[in-house]
Amino acid sequence: MSVSAPPATLPRLLTGMTSSGAMTLDHHFEIHGALPALARRRRDSALALVNELERSGLRGRGGAAFPTAVKVTAVAAARGRAVVVANGCEGEPASHKDRLLLERLPHLVIDGALLVAHAVDAGEVVIAVDEQATRAARATDKALRERSDLSRGAPRVRLVTVPSGYVSGQEAAIVNFLNGGPAKPTGGPTPIFERGVKGRPTLMNNVETLAHVALIARHGAAWFRALGAYGEPGSTLVTLGGAVAQPGVFEIEMGASIASLVDAAGGPTAQLRAFMVGGYAGTWVPADIGYQLPLSPDELREFGASLGAGIVFALPSTACPVAELAFVARWLSGQSAGQCGPCVYGLEAIAAALEQVRVGVGGEGTLAQIRRWAALASGRGACAHPDGVARFITSGTEVFAEELVDHAHRGPCAGCVQRHLLPTPVAPTAQRAT
Amino acid sequence: MSLPLAATVGPSAYWYLTRSTGTMAMVLLTLSVVLGVIDVQRYSSTRLPRFIVDGMHRSVSLLAVVFLVVHIVTAALDSFASIPLIDAVVPFAGSYRPLWLGLGAASFDLVIAVVITSLARKRLGYRAWRFTHWFAYASWPLALLHGLGTGSDVKTTWMIAISGGCIAAVLFSVCIRVASGWPGQVGLRTAAAGVAVCFAGGVALWLPGGPLGAGWAKRSGTPTSLLRPAAVRSPR
Repeated sequence: MSVSAPPATLPRLLTGMTSSGAMTLDHHFEIHGALPALARRRRDSALALVNELERSGLRGRGGAAFPTAVKVTAVAAARGRAVVVANGCEGEPASHKDRLLLERLPHLVIDGALLVAHAVDAGEVVIAVDEQATRAARATDKALRERSDLSRGAPRVRLVTVPSGYVSGQEAAIVNFLNGGPAKPTGGPTPIFERGVKGRPTLMNNVETLAHVALIARHGAAWFRALGAYGEPGSTLVTLGGAVAQPGVFEIEMGASIASLVDAAGGPTAQLRAFMVGGYAGTWVPADIGYQLPLSPDELREFGASLGAGIVFALPSTACPVAELAFVARWLSGQSAGQCGPCVYGLEAIAAALEQVRVGVGGEGTLAQIRRWAALASGRGACAHPDGVARFITSGTEVFAEELVDHAHRGPCAGCVQRHLLPTPVAPTAQRAT
Repeated sequence: MSLPLAATVGPSAYWYLTRSTGTMAMVLLTLSVVLGVIDVQRYSSTRLPRFIVDGMHRSVSLLAVVFLVVHIVTAALDSFASIPLIDAVVPFAGSYRPLWLGLGAASFDLVIAVVITSLARKRLGYRAWRFTHWFAYASWPLALLHGLGTGSDVKTTWMIAISGGCIAAVLFSVCIRVASGWPGQVGLRTAAAGVAVCFAGGVALWLPGGPLGAGWAKRSGTPTSLLRPAAVRSPR
C-alpha cells in the first residue's frame, strides 16, 4: 500500500505540529502526502483498507483498546447505509489529546473519518466535539471548509457539539444525543454497529484512532508496526499531568515506560508519591512501581491497570492523596447520569464516606465500608461509570492505605489545605462555597 | 528502557554478548585485583595456600582478557552503534559516547600492558614488571567508569548490586594493602587510601544525577541519529 514509508521514529501524528493554530490542508498534504487514491470499485479499496488495518493491529485509542479492523468489519457487514462518528468528546478531565488533535491537526482526523467512511460505505460522517472545547470545534469547522474533496457526493460531513460531561463522551451517550435525546448512556438491546444513529449501523471511533488510520492508509501496516510491541504496535498519545516540569500531550512508542514519559516532560518537579494511570476510571500505582510500568494496554492489564484514553498523572508527595480521592469521588458522583440507583446513591455514599475519613470522623470502619460499597456499585449501572469510579477508589484505598488510616484516626493533614491537583472542568459546588 | 527497542529493532545476539562479557570482565578484573592483594599480602592457610592464590590470580586475569576480547569484538560486530575496532584500543577517538568508550579503551590498553609484561616477566626483569603492574590499579577504576557510563544495564538492580560489590571488594583490598605496606611512607599511604575512598564516594555521588538520572543516553554523547525518543511532547 505504501510507496516509501517514512522512518520508524517519533513523532508520527504530531509531525509538523506548531505551537498554535491548526495545520492547513496544503501543509498537511505536504507533510503526510495526499490521501491514497481509492479504487473505482469501492469494494476493492475498502477491502484493501480493512486488510491493512487488520494487519496493522491498530486498536482504539478512546480507552477500550478494541481492534479497529473488527469494528469496521462489523459495521461494513451490517444491513443499511452506515454512519461514521468521530468521537472527540473527551470527557476525562485529565486528557487533552483529542481536543489537541482537533485543534491543531484536524485534517488527520478528517482523513481518517473519510477513509473509514469509504470502508463501510457510509453516507454520513459526524465529528462530535465537547461543547466547551470551542477552539477545537472552530478549528475543525474551518478545516472542513478547506476540504474541496468533501463537496462532491457522499459522505456528508458535519460537526456536532455535544454537552459536556464525564459520561457524555461515551459511545451510547453520543448516539442518544445525535438521535435527539439527552447525552446520556442509555444502553439499548442492539449494539450500535447494527442500530445506532438514526437506527443505522454506526461506526464510532475515537479521533486519535482515526488519525492513526489516516497514516496507516498512507504508509502501510508494516510501517505502523515498526514502533511498539508485538501485540500493541504503533505510537499513542498520552496526556501527562501533575508534578512534572512540562506537562502536556506526548506521543509515545507503545510500551514505553512511565519513566521515559516523565523524562520527556523534563523530569519530576517534586518527589512523587504515585501515578494515576488511565484517568478517573483508571488505577493508582505507587511511584516506584509506576516508573517501570510500560504504557501499553496488555502490559498494564497484567498489573490490573489500564491505559484508558492515554492518561498519566504524577501525584507529588506534598499533596494529600486522601483529599484528592475525596475531591474526585465527589466530582464523579456528580457526573452520574442519574439513571441507575446504585450509581446515584452508591457513588454519593462513597464520596461522603471518603470526606468523613478525610476529616477523621469515620474511623477505620468507614474505610472498610468504602471498599464494600465500591464492590457493590460496580457492574450495576446501564453504563460502566460506577465500575470506573469503583476501580479508581478501590485502587486508591490500596495504594494510599497508610494515609487513609492516618486520616481516619487523626483527621485532616497539612496537605489537605492545599489546592487540589487533580483536574476537573468545573469545581464542584461544595468546593466553591468555601 | 530496552523493552520497546527490543521488540522492534530486534537486538542482535552481539548486543547480549557484549553486555554479558563486559559484566563478567568487570567481575573478573575485580577478583583479579582482590587476589593480587591477597597474594602480595602473603596470606595463606591450609585451605588457600599461596600457590593456589597465585595461580588463581593468573588464571582469573587471563580469563578476564578472554572476556574482554569477546566484549570488544561483539561490540564492534553489533550494527546498532558502529564502533570500529580501532576505538577499542585508541581512547577517545570514536563518535559513540567518546569519553565513556574511551575509558574502556584506556583500561583495556592498561590491562594488556599488565598481562603482556607479566607473561614476559622473566625476560623483562623485576623492576620493569613491577612498574607496569601498578597499571592494574589504574585500569580497574577506568573499567568501572566505562561500565557505569555506557553500560546498557546500569539502571537495573542486579547491575547496581554487582557494581557496588565490585567497588566494596576493591576498596577493602586497597585499604588492606596500604595499611600493611611501606612502613616508612605514611603520607603516601594515607594519600592512596584517601584517593580510593574519594573515588568510591565520588562514584556514589555522581551516579544518581549521572547514569541513573534522566536523559543520560543523550548527555553521555550518543550520536543523535541513534537516539530514538520513546516520547515526544507536543509543542506548547
